[in-house]
Amino acid sequence: MAERECPVCNGQRLKPEILAVTVDGKSIVDLTRLSIGEAHRLFSELKLEGRQAQIAVQILKEIESRLSFLQDVGLEYLTLDRSANTLAGGEAQRIRLATQIGSSLMGVLYILDEPSIGLHQRDNDRLIATLERLRDLGNTVIVVEHDEDTIRASNYVIDIGPAAGEHGGEVVASGTPDEVAANPASLTGQYLSGAKRIVTPAKRRPGNRKSIVIKGAREHNLQGIDVEIPLGRLVSVTGVSGSGKSSLVNDILAKKLSAVYHRAGDLPGKHDDIQGLGNLDKVISVDQSPIGRTPRSNPATYTGVFTDIRELFAQVPEAKIRGYKAGRFSFNVKGGRCELCRGDGIIKIEMHFLPDVYVTCEDCKGKRYNREALEIYYKGKTVSDVLDMTVEEAVKFFENIPSIRRKFETLFNVGLGYIHLGQSATTFSGGEAQRIKLATELARRSTGRTLYILDEPTTGLHFEDVNRLLGVLNALVDTGNTVLVIEHNLDVIKSSDWLVDMGPEGGSGGGLVIAQGTPEMVAKEPDSHTGRYLKRIFAHEAQK
Amino acid sequence: MRATVGSLPFGSFSVQLHPVSGVVMTDKIVVRGAREHNLKNINVEIPRDQLVVITGLSGSGKSSLAFDTIYAEGQRRYVESLSAYARQFLGLMEKPDVDQIDGLSPAISIDQKSSSRNPRSTVGTVTEIYDYLRLLYARVGTPHCPLCGREVVRQTPGQIVDQILELPEGTKMYLLAPIVDDKKGEYRHIAPELAKAGYTRVRVDGTVYDLADFPNLDKQRKHTIEAVIDRIATSSDIRQRLTESVEQGLNLADGIIKALQADTGEMRIFSEHYACPEHREISLPEIAPRNFSFNSPHGACPHCTGLGSRLEVDPELVIPNRRLTLAEGAIRPWAKTTSRMSWYSKLLDGVAKANGFSLDVPVADMKSSDLRIVLYGAPDQSISSEVPVAAPTIPTTKVSFLTWSGATTIPIPILSAKKSKSTWRSGNVQSAMVNG
Repeated sequence: MAERECPVCNGQRLKPEILAVTVDGKSIVDLTRLSIGEAHRLFSELKLEGRQAQIAVQILKEIESRLSFLQDVGLEYLTLDRSANTLAGGEAQRIRLATQIGSSLMGVLYILDEPSIGLHQRDNDRLIATLERLRDLGNTVIVVEHDEDTIRASNYVIDIGPAAGEHGGEVVASGTPDEVAANPASLTGQYLSGAKRIVTPAKRRPGNRKSIVIKGAREHNLQGIDVEIPLGRLVSVTGVSGSGKSSLVNDILAKKLSAVYHRAGDLPGKHDDIQGLGNLDKVISVDQSPIGRTPRSNPATYTGVFTDIRELFAQVPEAKIRGYKAGRFSFNVKGGRCELCRGDGIIKIEMHFLPDVYVTCEDCKGKRYNREALEIYYKGKTVSDVLDMTVEEAVKFFENIPSIRRKFETLFNVGLGYIHLGQSATTFSGGEAQRIKLATELARRSTGRTLYILDEPTTGLHFEDVNRLLGVLNALVDTGNTVLVIEHNLDVIKSSDWLVDMGPEGGSGGGLVIAQGTPEMVAKEPDSHTGRYLKRIFAHEAQK
Repeated sequence: MRATVGSLPFGSFSVQLHPVSGVVMTDKIVVRGAREHNLKNINVEIPRDQLVVITGLSGSGKSSLAFDTIYAEGQRRYVESLSAYARQFLGLMEKPDVDQIDGLSPAISIDQKSSSRNPRSTVGTVTEIYDYLRLLYARVGTPHCPLCGREVVRQTPGQIVDQILELPEGTKMYLLAPIVDDKKGEYRHIAPELAKAGYTRVRVDGTVYDLADFPNLDKQRKHTIEAVIDRIATSSDIRQRLTESVEQGLNLADGIIKALQADTGEMRIFSEHYACPEHREISLPEIAPRNFSFNSPHGACPHCTGLGSRLEVDPELVIPNRRLTLAEGAIRPWAKTTSRMSWYSKLLDGVAKANGFSLDVPVADMKSSDLRIVLYGAPDQSISSEVPVAAPTIPTTKVSFLTWSGATTIPIPILSAKKSKSTWRSGNVQSAMVNG
């Protein structure tokens, strides 16, 4: 079956007699098909007369203020009829932010989680202004954030660290941004002061002179453009929010390539042709969707490393004597798992009209295995102890088993040293899930002709983590692969070999390629918003 | 674990009151001994009414401090203050591992996880802009006839009278109540009925007659019949009589009245409801905000229930290989029943005979009109087919008359597949659905 536009209402959702009701010659559906920016302009110019104007004045005030708040948080490209379940997490968050400002409460403590995600540097300035406005209304605004501009704009910075997981959890520095920048103990401070920074590579990789070319891309707001993506390089697709980056990369390129190479069923977005498909043999698209919705999935099972670990435990002499097979060390099947909690480690007690209560399993004490499985030790640890380790600990613990160590190293290299092996998949953020997937793909042998597609891989990453991620991506490119990222982070953009800058604006004002080339070439492009910010960075670096 | 207290368009918020009333609010939020997750028993002071950034490496404990300690405690205190009854809906909340937090104010978390998965939510509805738009349209919107696009206006009898009286004094006019609007028929019954109701004149196809002279009408032609309610000449002292006549006319003709100027022949039409004078079969509802909601049956398109799209069977999946003939099993979900005895092939046989096409032509070469019938059916047509009788001991067939509703409606397989032991049919049908 296929989802088709409703033939009766032509996708307008309402009865025909309702659609025939107009204000200023437009039906309600005509209005919702406008973007927030267009709607705002229309309402500010709307002229009603006499009685109508009197009735509408209150309503129009509410509509206009909401539209302008949404514009302030950089969402003017969204149309009002855009379905909420297709919004990115950052967009949904900024809508809530806009709603909050509209409520004009004071004395409230607002806590925000990385509101800058998915925002172009240009829109970021407006977001910061919105946060300041929320503060000036008389509220306390706490933002968990890595973005440099937000940190600099804040009144007070708390730097937690010094490192991740067991090595973190302390206040390394606190104070005004300047005080933190002057604190040599703070990693954030070092990046703020410029003592540490992500260095712009001196040379850009030339690639392998091959490319793939998307012809006549017309999905969403794309205006029938042709885009060439050079292979064997680190390529960033940039542009303000809503300019068509995702339509081009995710909807057209990724779907088409997975249909060609992996026989996926999703229909690619509208385009005429993609040339140069023979230059690749595999596409790996790493998005931010969760790695699993079942609590039984965890990083160890997802990356497949747990299979190796179970084999390893089955090889322990004591296990061999007892005749235990690898299945004995799985918490998902009968044999080794604790049967009281069925390997969950916790038991859900249904309280009927009271909420469900989760208690630690009294039989296994939360260890998920039965006594027999826990009597097998490898280097003094049981399989349950292993699941409790962080990735960082596991790298050391398994240093003598290359096949296992390699998988943990990739997890560590993408900045996930702090996660626990047995941590339930449902607890990971989008950025973490994406990096777990990335690590899984990295652990596979690359063919050297693979295209990796990543959507904002820097989500949730600190400067230091971004630096490490760039190392991983560069290693991929150096072995001949192509890495294509959609990114707003300027450190990643300036470190790319090739940029495709979309724009100039979002929504119907976008959908064109404004500039393409090396970061230096794009920086010279006066029409490119990204170019302007790059130019500033390069000028700044040249001074030093 | 974050629980939801109340509900904003996106996700959750919690309100937490100052712990000790009467205490002068400090200018700091003071956290002492935070040990949640990997936090190392830390003390933090956060200035109030400021923009504060908590930063650090991934996994260093930023979220543990911001969300799992400060926000969680704020929320817990609020929930504790509620009655046991209210708390049952909110989930149990563990006290975060922290010694003391002072200076907390009501906390609202704006995170990224809690977005709506409902296909009916749009940017307009979650921002409440759509609610205001609905109100705007209900209050100041101008209704139009959906068929002809003409503006439709609703007037009270008083307003109608006022408008008639605005004409120059002495204008002679007929007040007419339309009874038949451009429809075929003889309408013999109308004259006696009108006479009984006390009317004396009638206007038929533009000519005024006495009821006694009601003309013989051609059954095959369309006619327009209007009862003459009153004949008046406008003047300021006829308001009373005019009002009565207008009300009477509106009653007789379901809320429509026409004023015909005797001298110029100019006709004005007034309506008490939102109704198009030309398309009276369309009655526009009283417009209220709910009529503009695609989530309400009062406004939603009945075909797609307001979603704007429908799941439909994709013909390309039903007939994936257009080089096959229907007899060879071009219709994939039925492909394995092409033994000539099956119910479907018999049925198809009947369809082919009734419409005069062959089952032995590749689908690609079929006439598109015939293919339409195969896919979407011919609901008006009764076809006969020799359908084998279920489980016969002696092979028998009976001729039954059916209507053919098309291959894409998948009439029986889904239902029977659930019961039957053979799963191939459900498998095929579902794959045609899922792949789309």
